[in-house]
Amino acid sequence: MVVRQYQQELEYLEKISSYCWRIKKGFQPNMRVEGVFYVNQTLEKLMLDELRNACRPGMVGGFLPGVKQIANVAALPGIVGKSVGLPDVHSGYGFAIGNMAAFDVNDPESIVSPGGVGFDINCGVRLLRTNLYESDVLPVKEQLAQSLFDHIPVGVGSKGIIPMNARDLEEALEMGMDWSLREGYIWAEDKEHCEEYGRMLNADPAKVSMRAKKRGLPQVIFFSKKSFYCPFLFHGIKVYIYELDEIYDKWAACKMGIEEKGQICVMIHSGSRGFGHQVATDALVQMEKAMKRDNIETNDRQLACARISSVEGQDYLKSMAAAANFAWVNRSSMTFLSRQAFAKQFNMAPDDLDMHVIYDVSHNIAKVEEHLVDGKPKTLLVHRKGSTRAFPPHHPLIPVDYQLTGQPVLIGGTMGTCSYVLTGTEQGMFETFGSTCHGAGRALSRAKSRRNIDYTDVLQKLEYMGISIRVASPKLVMEEAPESYKNVTDVVNTCHAAGISKKCIKLRPIAVIKG
Amino acid sequence: MEAFFVIVGGGIAGVSCAETLAFLEPDRSIILLSESALIKTVVNLHAITRTLQDFDIQEVGIQDFSSKHINLKVIHDVLTHINDTTKQVQTQGGLNIKYTYLCICTGAEPKLIPQAKHFEEIVGIRDTDSVDTFIQRISKAKTVVIVGNGGIATELVFKIKNAEIHWSIKDKHMSATFVDPGAAEFFQPCLYVKDVSAPPVTKRMRVQEEEYRKRGAALGPDWYKNLIISGANADIPKSVNLHYETEIKDVKRLERSEFPIEAILSNDEKIPCDLIVSATGVLPRKSFTTENTFDLSGDGDIQVNEFMQTSVPFIYAAGDVCNCNWKLAKHWFQMKLWTQARQMGSYAAKSMVGHLNNEEVLQDFCFEMFAHSTRLFNFKVILLGLFNGQKLGRNYEMLLRMTKGVEYVKFVLEDNKLQGAVLIGETDLEEMAENLILNQIDLSPYGDDILNPDIDIEDYFD
Repeated sequence: MVVRQYQQELEYLEKISSYCWRIKKGFQPNMRVEGVFYVNQTLEKLMLDELRNACRPGMVGGFLPGVKQIANVAALPGIVGKSVGLPDVHSGYGFAIGNMAAFDVNDPESIVSPGGVGFDINCGVRLLRTNLYESDVLPVKEQLAQSLFDHIPVGVGSKGIIPMNARDLEEALEMGMDWSLREGYIWAEDKEHCEEYGRMLNADPAKVSMRAKKRGLPQVIFFSKKSFYCPFLFHGIKVYIYELDEIYDKWAACKMGIEEKGQICVMIHSGSRGFGHQVATDALVQMEKAMKRDNIETNDRQLACARISSVEGQDYLKSMAAAANFAWVNRSSMTFLSRQAFAKQFNMAPDDLDMHVIYDVSHNIAKVEEHLVDGKPKTLLVHRKGSTRAFPPHHPLIPVDYQLTGQPVLIGGTMGTCSYVLTGTEQGMFETFGSTCHGAGRALSRAKSRRNIDYTDVLQKLEYMGISIRVASPKLVMEEAPESYKNVTDVVNTCHAAGISKKCIKLRPIAVIKG
Repeated sequence: MEAFFVIVGGGIAGVSCAETLAFLEPDRSIILLSESALIKTVVNLHAITRTLQDFDIQEVGIQDFSSKHINLKVIHDVLTHINDTTKQVQTQGGLNIKYTYLCICTGAEPKLIPQAKHFEEIVGIRDTDSVDTFIQRISKAKTVVIVGNGGIATELVFKIKNAEIHWSIKDKHMSATFVDPGAAEFFQPCLYVKDVSAPPVTKRMRVQEEEYRKRGAALGPDWYKNLIISGANADIPKSVNLHYETEIKDVKRLERSEFPIEAILSNDEKIPCDLIVSATGVLPRKSFTTENTFDLSGDGDIQVNEFMQTSVPFIYAAGDVCNCNWKLAKHWFQMKLWTQARQMGSYAAKSMVGHLNNEEVLQDFCFEMFAHSTRLFNFKVILLGLFNGQKLGRNYEMLLRMTKGVEYVKFVLEDNKLQGAVLIGETDLEEMAENLILNQIDLSPYGDDILNPDIDIEDYFD
């Protein structure tokens, strides 16, 4: 890392609009393209503070600030356009979380990097709508939270039972949501509203190590009086019940089946957890060898990568796809359980409750896409880490229901804060390869604020906001306490103002279930 | 009498095994042979991380339990003999039960100090009966000697009120089974603080009728939670005298003394006392005979392979009675704990079903990394991987973070890779630590910053 004074560092950064900064070449060594990041006034201060901190004497090494990580990515072989930092960017392994970068598939030098996808492969969010309203849910809020809690395998009273063996896992890895459909956990139309129809076709379970498979298989069976089962059991699942708080784009909201304030939605947040971790870990080991062989140099060892066309690169893409399928099966299982819980509570069938999937987005993934670069169509491998695909209206890869509105983008909030649905824009397609933010980000890598949070205060605060809370473990409340995050409203408003996506609706949480 | 699966033992391993079988093979008959009329079921299971789980134990009557699973029958009897040639087991009550698969989950019993034979004042703690005896005896005691350095000894020392406590420890620090000296130091102030937790609702842990016989299965985690363990000396402040690196050398009966006995430690110190609690570990419980003998470990545990099979065909074993005799994963080792009894019981069931249906069984991932969650001195304690540098010799580094009375974090590092961790208090680090151990990510770039209290890194590796 180059050691410079903060003022000298600032010379490499240029504010090009109220919401966008440019990172010039030279900020980090060997940058092949420029970097860019999107911030409003508040986020700008957080971003620059982090850099200023890192420039203090004695702060060398350790954790790089997000802006440095964006620049290091700009130095990777084969990168095109810009290395993009979204408003919720914060430091992560190799790539910052909230960093997207695209690599030209037809350039033999181009690389794929597991750090650009993240360990929790295809961590993502799914939103279900209902035809219920706040007035239906409020009186039974506690019971519903309890009922969801009963059905979703977390904590006290877990009712999940898993009939999944090694063969089932292989099939699920290969088939993704087609497996869920075949096993009867989802509706056929759910697939329509998922990226890639909930199945990465290049998934190859044979490229996944035995250790990853074992780490993915449920290890213990959970029992209950009511025998209820789901094919996966995870910690790290969050299910939120939201009510519609505000509509910014009535027409687009209508297309999503969301019409009136107070309408109830369910958001499911989960990924591939340990399975993804193992897939990424296995790949990192292989890639370190490939880098030596192919003389690939990076600014940061954590940016371990391999040429897309190499065996290591292809193996990673195939096993990453399997992990992505695994995550979709997981979200599908949670969808099934949520539908069951609502059906039980309201004594109506899930389809009578109109519990359709509005959309399902992936936050940690790399995909091959067609984009225009300098006016020419190119096939790119797009890494999105802590970043969401946001395709504009008329894009061929988005479902027919959203052809005119643009792809819905689901932005998960935190326990106390709101959540948003945005839509993709042409400008985003042009500036950020059709990518936008993914949610709230950590305020800083510093933990000052967090350590001051008193758990009782967090609970009191949430109580005051009228949110019914069920937590499988108290620590989870703290982990996602609003104070430790970059404010989601700032993040979303920045994306909207910068034009890289468009606000559609805002959702307010009324219950959270975490596992 | 006949059942496809016969499981011996109503403790947590046996019950987990029976429940798993009842689920996986709903059409096969299962008999659970329990020495106790109360059996232990797992409730409130909570997945903390991939390998780490929290749970409580609930004792339920045989009737209640059997009614939950139609293909499962619980018999209250004691195993006396296994005939593996005819595939039959015999019981004290004179039953002959034919089996296709047999799983032995008879657990372990406290290894009492040898003098226990001659003194009724020396008690061990294992099941509900022995707890009752202990509570009754301690209610009249003014001075108590506790021998042993594991979980039960630690819990007792913390929980006993109104008595002078002498704690004889063979190691150089307390609670050595679970924690390092640093953590022992962290806990030290707790020894002299009166337990301020809310007064328990009930004094007795039995919820069932008195006429039940409660032998066999061991206690649950947090068994002491709802107990008042009180001596007869209400006047003294909480006082614990630690006797490091000692054992009980001898016990003598005292004449004309206010105390009935005297414990003589290996350092020749004499402690007149009312009661000695022996909590020095466990021995496998095998009070039955067999036709062909099992391969046993040096400590007398039944050897099992990676499928929990014993050396005798169609006989499996799980829990405290067995010794894991396979090539262990680097970050896992066996400890006689609730957590592992449950994992083994459930896994033995899966293995039997896999064997029966000729299906491939992948060993449960829980055997890849040691993970245990418990409470000591009212602190949450999470132990991961080689948390005390087990198997590493002296070839490792420790990285510590401690805030007095709040948290104690220890990372065990080898070649800059995390091998184990002790997390005491609400650290929020368990999932990250688990992933760092399993992934073996090189942590050298971060140096000590990995535990920098001013940096949040929980989602850094997401």
